[in-house]
Amino acid sequence: MNFSEYVVSRWDTLSLAAAEHALVVGIAIGVSTAVGIGIGLLTHDLPKVRGLSLAISAAILTVPSLALLTLLIPITGLGWGSTLVALTAYAFLPIIRNTVAGLRGVDAAMVEAGRGMGMGRARVLLKVRLPLAWPLILTGVRVATQMLIGIAAIAAYVDGPGLGTQIFEGLSRLGSVNALNATLAGTLGIVVIAVLFDLFFFAVRQLTIPRGLRVRP
Amino acid sequence: MFDRDTGGARIELRALTKHYPGQPAPAVDHVDLDIPAGELVVFVGPSGCGKTTTMKMINRLVEPTSGEIRIGGEDVLSLHPDELRRHIGYAIQQVGLFPHQTIGQNIGLVPKLLGWSAARTAERVEELLTLVNLEPSAFHDRYPSQLSGGQQQRVGVARALAADPPVMLMDEPFGATDPITREHLQNEFVKLQKQLRKTIIFVTHDFEEAIKLGDRIAVLRERSHIAQYDTPANILAHPADDYVAGFIGQDATLKRLALLRVGDVECTQQRGSADMPQITSDASLREALDVMLAHGTDRCGSPSGVLTYGALCEAVGTEPASASEPTPASAARKEPVGAGPATALKEAVRR
Repeated sequence: MNFSEYVVSRWDTLSLAAAEHALVVGIAIGVSTAVGIGIGLLTHDLPKVRGLSLAISAAILTVPSLALLTLLIPITGLGWGSTLVALTAYAFLPIIRNTVAGLRGVDAAMVEAGRGMGMGRARVLLKVRLPLAWPLILTGVRVATQMLIGIAAIAAYVDGPGLGTQIFEGLSRLGSVNALNATLAGTLGIVVIAVLFDLFFFAVRQLTIPRGLRVRP
Repeated sequence: MFDRDTGGARIELRALTKHYPGQPAPAVDHVDLDIPAGELVVFVGPSGCGKTTTMKMINRLVEPTSGEIRIGGEDVLSLHPDELRRHIGYAIQQVGLFPHQTIGQNIGLVPKLLGWSAARTAERVEELLTLVNLEPSAFHDRYPSQLSGGQQQRVGVARALAADPPVMLMDEPFGATDPITREHLQNEFVKLQKQLRKTIIFVTHDFEEAIKLGDRIAVLRERSHIAQYDTPANILAHPADDYVAGFIGQDATLKRLALLRVGDVECTQQRGSADMPQITSDASLREALDVMLAHGTDRCGSPSGVLTYGALCEAVGTEPASASEPTPASAARKEPVGAGPATALKEAVRR
């Protein structure tokens, strides 16, 4: 059986695995984006808390994914639970870091002008700093997504959802029937998901970045 | 609030002090100043003398350590800072336009904060764009990055004027533009202020700009101590001390000439001859002197008569001097002729 025959015959399994892969990444990114931007908004102006949140999220990223997933088994069990928790935790660093960098990088003159015209701190944060930081924040989310799509494959070791099962099953019985096809299908499926997510973020970028930041002089 | 009358409100500073924690000396030390309603007062002084800090205490971007600020009799320190700032125009050197908003949205920002209706805001934005010489239909929907530096500065001024505040604070608003644009903006601004009569505090370190724009100038030394507070003409004629004189520079008399118009000087009745260099009556005496020097003569014709070098000297209160042939002030009407006065004139300029 060649590769295309394999894909056609296993279409149901493969498409379900791919959909689950995308879903678990999507949920994890959704949660960590909401929480990460929130943390960034709250801590960008408080040096100590900001440092702490960045240090913790960086520390999480240094834990190997397989180790983290295994450590989570006693707490969140096998499958979706551990996968979601691990993926969400890994996404924090790029999102929080870019949010903080974006918010702090806003030209001081704009903040002063806003304050001088009678905008309160919260209003300056939401109406000036956030829109101006948005392109950088979005880049952080995009980087985090690409990272999670790869890490999600490893979740197969804790019986997690996604295309990882195809890859690791294939690898474990390499040489036998369809082993290579399974590995290839899983890997290519992940590439396709990554490309689709990137297209999605391109669209989001075009739709949400204020026009004034995109126009050419 | 104090802006029931948009035509300008009196500002009083009493023993205004800012002492930053951990610093040996206060940045601003017991400043007392009265700024009459509708006047433009320039704070001029070297960098770090506390002029910007003093200005920022008025809209409380810097909270005073002690002292009192009153605008139109109202105690500023008892008001909510954000609410206060919405009633004080504020323009800064870096302009600080919001790049993600259109020019219209930038100008309409304070009216929106004050809860004006959309229609009223739109009308006001239109009016202001016209006021600062930007065609509303062309600029309303553009973004700051699409404008030149000078155009951005104009939008900055329009934004500060948006809610028609009685008081405006301006921190070197024309500082970041090239000399030609700056002069243009200054001239426009002088005209605008004649029309609006706001109470304006204008911070600069450029004494020329101070003379050009100010109804009064406060020359500040370190810790915002006021070295002299007077009209430009009085400061130039009678600097209070060496510090002020040093700030004016070596050409105080030339600067005073620049403040006076040809039309203000009494000219001799006689009509000038055709070969005499001509000058308009709204040109400054400094320009008239320039014309005389350029033609090597001591007189030039203006619509109101002949302007002589002697009349120039009289206008700034000095006597025309000449080493070879002393010419008394009254000689201006007797019309001294010949090369003598012209040489004296060149000497006078050299001094």
